[in-house]
Amino acid sequence: MTVPGVLFLIGLIIAGGGAVRRILLWRRGRSDGTGGILAALATVPARYFRDVHTVVVRDGRAARMHIFAGGGFVATCVLIFVVHVLGATAPVFVLATLLGAGVMGLGAAMAWRRRRSGRPSRLSGGPYDLLPYALGAFAVFYFAGTVPLLGESDLDWRGPMGLALLPLGVFGTAFLLPGLTIGPMRHAFAGAAHLAFHPRAERFGGERAVTLKPLDLEAEKLGVETPQDFTWRQILSYDACVQCGRCEDACPVYAAGGPLNPKKLIFDLWATSAGDPVAADYAGHPYPGLEDAGAPTAAAGSPVIGRPGGIAEETLWACTTCRACVEECPMMIEHVDAVIDLRRFETLEKGATPDKGAVALETLAQTDTASGRHRDERLDWASDLNLPLARDRRRFDVLLWLGENAFDLRGQKTLRALIGVLRAGGVDFAVLGEEERDVGDIAQRLGDEAGFQRLAEENIATLAKYQFNRIVTNDPHVLQALKHEYPAFGGRYEVAHHTTFVSELIETDALQLSPIDAGAVTYHDPCYLGRYNGEFDAPRALINALGLQRPEMERSGPRSFCCGWGGGAALTDIPSKARVPDLRMAQAKATGAESVAVACPNCAVMLEGVTDAPLAVVDVIELVALAVTVGRAEAAA
Amino acid sequence: MHNPSDALLKPLTIKNVTIRNRIMSTAHSSGFVQGGLPREQYRRYQEEKAKGGIGMTMIAGTSSVTPDSPNKEAGHVDISTDEIIPYFQELAKVIRRHGAAVMAQLGHMGRRAIWDRDYWLPIISASTIREPTNHSFPKAAEDWDIRRLVKGFGEGALRCKQGDMQGAEIGGAYMHLVEQFMSPLSNRRTDKYGGNLENRTRFLVEILESMRAHAGDDFVIGVRISGDELRKGGLTQDEALIVCRDLAERGLVDYLSVMGGEAQDHISHPTAMPGMSYPVAPFLYLASAVKQEVDVPIFHAQRITDVRTAARAIADGHIDMVAMTRPHMADPYIVNKMKDGREEDIRPCVGANYCIDRFYIRGQARCLHNPAMGREREIPYVFSPAEKKKKVVVVGAGPSGLEAARVCKSRGHEVVLFEREAVTGGQINLAAKAPRHEALANVAQWLDLQVRKLGVDVRLETEADQGAVLGENPDIVIVATGGDPATAGVKGAEHAASTWDILSGTVAPAEHVVIYDDNGEHQAPQCAEFMASHGAKVEFVTHDRAMGQDIGLTEAALYRKNLYKLDILFTPDQKLIEIYPEGNRLVAVLQNAYTDEEEERVADQIVIENGTLPRERLYFGLKEQSSNQGEVDLHALIAGRAQSVVNNPDGAFQLFRVGDAVTSRNIHGSLYEAVRLCKDL
Repeated sequence: MTVPGVLFLIGLIIAGGGAVRRILLWRRGRSDGTGGILAALATVPARYFRDVHTVVVRDGRAARMHIFAGGGFVATCVLIFVVHVLGATAPVFVLATLLGAGVMGLGAAMAWRRRRSGRPSRLSGGPYDLLPYALGAFAVFYFAGTVPLLGESDLDWRGPMGLALLPLGVFGTAFLLPGLTIGPMRHAFAGAAHLAFHPRAERFGGERAVTLKPLDLEAEKLGVETPQDFTWRQILSYDACVQCGRCEDACPVYAAGGPLNPKKLIFDLWATSAGDPVAADYAGHPYPGLEDAGAPTAAAGSPVIGRPGGIAEETLWACTTCRACVEECPMMIEHVDAVIDLRRFETLEKGATPDKGAVALETLAQTDTASGRHRDERLDWASDLNLPLARDRRRFDVLLWLGENAFDLRGQKTLRALIGVLRAGGVDFAVLGEEERDVGDIAQRLGDEAGFQRLAEENIATLAKYQFNRIVTNDPHVLQALKHEYPAFGGRYEVAHHTTFVSELIETDALQLSPIDAGAVTYHDPCYLGRYNGEFDAPRALINALGLQRPEMERSGPRSFCCGWGGGAALTDIPSKARVPDLRMAQAKATGAESVAVACPNCAVMLEGVTDAPLAVVDVIELVALAVTVGRAEAAA
Repeated sequence: MHNPSDALLKPLTIKNVTIRNRIMSTAHSSGFVQGGLPREQYRRYQEEKAKGGIGMTMIAGTSSVTPDSPNKEAGHVDISTDEIIPYFQELAKVIRRHGAAVMAQLGHMGRRAIWDRDYWLPIISASTIREPTNHSFPKAAEDWDIRRLVKGFGEGALRCKQGDMQGAEIGGAYMHLVEQFMSPLSNRRTDKYGGNLENRTRFLVEILESMRAHAGDDFVIGVRISGDELRKGGLTQDEALIVCRDLAERGLVDYLSVMGGEAQDHISHPTAMPGMSYPVAPFLYLASAVKQEVDVPIFHAQRITDVRTAARAIADGHIDMVAMTRPHMADPYIVNKMKDGREEDIRPCVGANYCIDRFYIRGQARCLHNPAMGREREIPYVFSPAEKKKKVVVVGAGPSGLEAARVCKSRGHEVVLFEREAVTGGQINLAAKAPRHEALANVAQWLDLQVRKLGVDVRLETEADQGAVLGENPDIVIVATGGDPATAGVKGAEHAASTWDILSGTVAPAEHVVIYDDNGEHQAPQCAEFMASHGAKVEFVTHDRAMGQDIGLTEAALYRKNLYKLDILFTPDQKLIEIYPEGNRLVAVLQNAYTDEEEERVADQIVIENGTLPRERLYFGLKEQSSNQGEVDLHALIAGRAQSVVNNPDGAFQLFRVGDAVTSRNIHGSLYEAVRLCKDL
């Protein structure tokens, strides 16, 4: 065996020990089975090259760097094992090893340049800053150590050259191989394992895996209190974080200076799970406003949430569950699931939901509406519209779910427009009226799974009384609940967002629109419509059909920026330096549009709440209703 | 978490009628009814409120169930024959198609009617007491009168039902016939319809029974009633509560519409229809008291002018329906604007009572600052975009200038508005300095807000001369420069102050003041009240037969009341012909307008009110250069066509003047002139 071979093997053996330790750390979590381990491992290449790659390539420079550095490293390692450990020194192997090390060296140079010339602020420093050097040292050492095997030169490991190379070799090998289980390189090891044992296998089937896992209300403990209450797969996922900070860049609360940094959150979740030793590993940005917080020091078995020792309550409740972080994470980590799990314990076991969140949950429990209105008041605003009641109709095509926005002036304006459009399109619809209860979105996102499940079951029982083909709603949160969250409780419905439904009316010529003159309109993707439900096109198609100019915001589509309402954040109202909707409004203004179109009543409320808003806020359907009116007026003339 | 509008937007169901929200308009006179029949003008007026989102409108105020309450010539509804039915049906159709509910009021004015009108039939009442405002001597109703009246109300209710009205109400307040029976002030009868409360209420009860018998149990029937006449010797609150409880408990009424005060004479009118001299919701307590006693819904009107107060009145359980009758004249879109979250865009009822007073003087109600009210056919609430975008320069940001700018900008023109003062509003700012008239400032504030929201280029503290105007390369120039105080050609007028000097604070009131009014409008009484309330001894001299000759009923009554309290001496029928100084005092030479006899007054200060003379230098400076040389095609103006006069083909712009820059008028006249011209430019 060659000297590099020996070094490599030592590194590998230490890494193996580290891996065992690592696996034991993961297994501190709740059992969630392992499935067929080999079958799970076999999924990794496909998941890596398809799902992870899709995310990674959004940052082209990082992707190229990673192909060279990571690809080179893996190839080189395999070849070093073949050539130096197993002793297969056929020239083809030797040349391949040299090539691999060369590619890796190039990758190291790219990583070095990326960090040196203005490292993106989101990237962590600390040991991560050493990674390019380690990669370089590793590549140089094994390249130099492989060259003699071509037989044309010799390398005296005791000579000056050899003595100069050895420290490089030790450093590079130690950093990258044992480092696989303790240093920055653990992302490769834990990341691969995470891909194999991902808590949401359905994500890799091309689905938007956005359904929250229902909580067993009979369980001894509800939600997550200590790290051990997470499943082992979740703990593994936190370990997989590479601290690239894409989530940090995406997070609207972080941008607003709220006490949340998803990158730090995931790190802290790992740190509380693993214990203190890795704490020094974090060299990224802190939670804004909690700069002095430092790393959590909670020992295994003590609560994750609550300072000192754990993660601050504000951090947990600041999250809008917008999934921008999840959307951006190249390691496919599920930040929002962690937040909900923790909130479930805080709400159900501790009763610690902050501020108006607790009031809303209490109100929901008492009145079945989030605003505390009586259910029989849901149609108050519409008494002159003579809406057909499901109770009277029994059988109809579309059930129009009015939602909480029927209690709100702004929402009523949108609903009025929607009803006008449905009627113009000849849609056979009915509403539940006082039989409709809140869908439970707020309860669910604030961790009140018991409240949510009660509402879900009661709504499902109500819906079972009627025959209809589809449910239509203008509230993406209602859409999410009815379409994705209710099936777990036996409620399976075809549910359409109003923009989807009305787009279809136009496609089938049930409704014609005339162009309107409303100036340029930029469209704001609601999180629960876009990222959660994948509907990006229908609202845009409607605006296009109106003949309106539609400049896009820099952050739109899957990368849209939250309005700040979701996840009960408007209720928990955690202070931040700026307000999330203010930031969003500024982004809308930058497009030069005259108004910002939304497709969610909650976005409308948040964006309209911006003081001195420079843009008018309209729901897409309100624009459509104008066109229908214009159409009628033109038809009359 | 509740929005104040939640309470207002909750429907109310009375029997088979669901009213979509809690905001209504009570029955009232408008003068928009021709020949006793509600035709297009009245229909459009009521329909606009329905379009604007109102819950219910009560139509046919001061209608007449029998021919001896003459009102055809007064612009009221005649409900005494079946001829009304198709007109009601048409009204119901246009109102209900917008989702509003509609009911009608049945009435008989009794002695408050004017006898020498329509059929010249004898006027009737409970007793033979002369009526102080309209001066009729009534006959005391005989048994057969009561029988035919009771029957008339019953038939009226049936006609309401046949006319698709969703309910009928008895006009039992405002000292009309039913109240004339109920009130000890007007009922001196000794038969079973007079004396104790039960007897005085008997007529009302018989009417209600007749209406129920005619219209059936499923028809909504209510009464408008005074919760306290607020007059010595009148119906007391205790009595009113007994009556209301009795009517409700016996199931005779489905709701009660409770007001405060009565309307037997001049001074009772401003109480019954309180304007800006009163606080907001002054008599809500009376309706609230009734609500605590009865189970039927309570309606109430009287100076609830903003939706916040309205919402509190409902949310706090004082009443069930809040009537914003005059506020809907100022802006029929109250409910929709509230729903849209645009409360600030609601044109506020300032309580000037121009609507009521104009009705009494000229026979048609007008809103002080909503020229479209009653002119719905002529003036739109939403202006159509102009075919060609033009550059409009408006000079002067008084009411007519602001309105011109608002209308032109709404139509899509580019508008520059020059104002030499630091604030907009013009003479409104002066008028708002008068005692009890501060709320007039809201007229200017609303216009100012609209103009700014629309994006008019407002240039304050900028005196626009010819150069400044022409420098804008305008297509249209509108001169709204207003006027300066005139002095009635009085010799020695240089020794006098103007009402502007006094109200603006430029000249302090002296000890003994003679104010001479050669206008007849609000300016001189306002100024007199201002001076007297600052300690001056004031003699009010006027060329007219009386002080405030052209001021309508409610405001005139309040000026009289307040000026009498301030010990002002009234000297009518005198012209001021000369002022000369004598020592450090002034002598006013007065000449009797009928005998030419002269007399003199010695005073420390003489104030002249004679309207304004136009500031017209800019207008005449631009006139020759303009294409129309200032000419207005009056036929086009009235017909709603664009102005197309060309006298000077080389002129690059059209020139118009509006408001007091033309001649001395009032706020409504200025606004109407501006909107009528500009909507077609």
